[in-house]
Amino acid sequence: MNNEKFHHIILSLKDNLYRLALSIVHDKAEAEDIVQDVFLKLWSKKDEWNTINNAEAYCYRSTKNLALDRLSSRATRKTESIDPQLEGHSFIDSETPHLQFIRKEERAIIYRCIDELSQNQRLVFQLREIDGLSYSDISNVLDISEDLVKVTLFRARKKMKELLEKYNDKRI
Amino acid sequence: MIKEYEHIHFLLNKYWNCETSLEEEKKLQDFFSQEDIPEDLQPYIPLFRDYKESQHSIRLDDDFEKKLKAAIHQKEKAKQYITIRIFAPVLKIAASIAIIVSLGVGIYFLVNENRKPYFAETYNDPKAALKDATYALEKLSEALRKGEEASKETFDKLKNLNINWAAIDSMGRDMEQEMEIEIEMEIEVEGDTDVDIDRDRETHVNQNL
Repeated sequence: MNNEKFHHIILSLKDNLYRLALSIVHDKAEAEDIVQDVFLKLWSKKDEWNTINNAEAYCYRSTKNLALDRLSSRATRKTESIDPQLEGHSFIDSETPHLQFIRKEERAIIYRCIDELSQNQRLVFQLREIDGLSYSDISNVLDISEDLVKVTLFRARKKMKELLEKYNDKRI
Repeated sequence: MIKEYEHIHFLLNKYWNCETSLEEEKKLQDFFSQEDIPEDLQPYIPLFRDYKESQHSIRLDDDFEKKLKAAIHQKEKAKQYITIRIFAPVLKIAASIAIIVSLGVGIYFLVNENRKPYFAETYNDPKAALKDATYALEKLSEALRKGEEASKETFDKLKNLNINWAAIDSMGRDMEQEMEIEIEMEIEVEGDTDVDIDRDRETHVNQNL
């Protein structure tokens, strides 16, 4: 790895790492701080860059570990649903208020479902659905076996299916 | 259309069983991002469309990289400071040695200054001081007097010896003359007057005695 690769990783991964950190600590400023710390740590380990064979997985893992450390060092509090400000963040102006309302509802549903998952299920789910990581990468990031990744993801998806169908039934 | 719909159902089943590849999952996401989704698939819209959309709207501020660069710069600076800190003990030792040496030199000179004789009032009672001073002076004058007596005695003894100083003086002078004559004769006659010289010497000595 060289300086160019370092910059490439920062450019391509910073938002993914930020999302991962945010989904664990639920605090924007702290999540940003975590991502910065991860990159600083990687930068200070310049001599070891050659021994890191999967820099992406390394960054994800560092982010996850640092975020969990911060979370446990903080007064442990029940995970809240995502910042309401964030939920409305991506609305396109051209959408009608009605459509916006529906979308917001749907978003609220998905995060309500995700909140029902266990910590590990949530992490596996996010790394697969959002970051599009392979099973082996996820097992590398979370330090668990590939089989366990599959089992965890299976349970997470099954739970999401049930919850989404339940919410849909309620709505109708 | 129906074929695609069937294919989506097939993929969805695979998806719940965690048998889909990343590409197949991408296909599902693309399908659900369309506008008109069949009713039976609508419950899964949040999962395949909204979740991804909302997550992708979560981004770091644009100045994150600027902040990161500043942090890296600061860290590099801190590293330099650390090297100073590593050498700090050595610097400390050097500084303490310098202080000890300068203190030692200072104290040495100060003590030497104190050792020089100085006058100070050591008596509280003037009478006692006078008494001690008189005693000391008396001792001194007695010592001087003894010395004077001793030298007088020596002079008297020397007078009483009755030495003939004139005879001693002339003896010395005669011997000098004799030596000169001897040397002259040796140069002139070279060896055959040894006996005469001996006799001459005897007469001189007899005369002197």
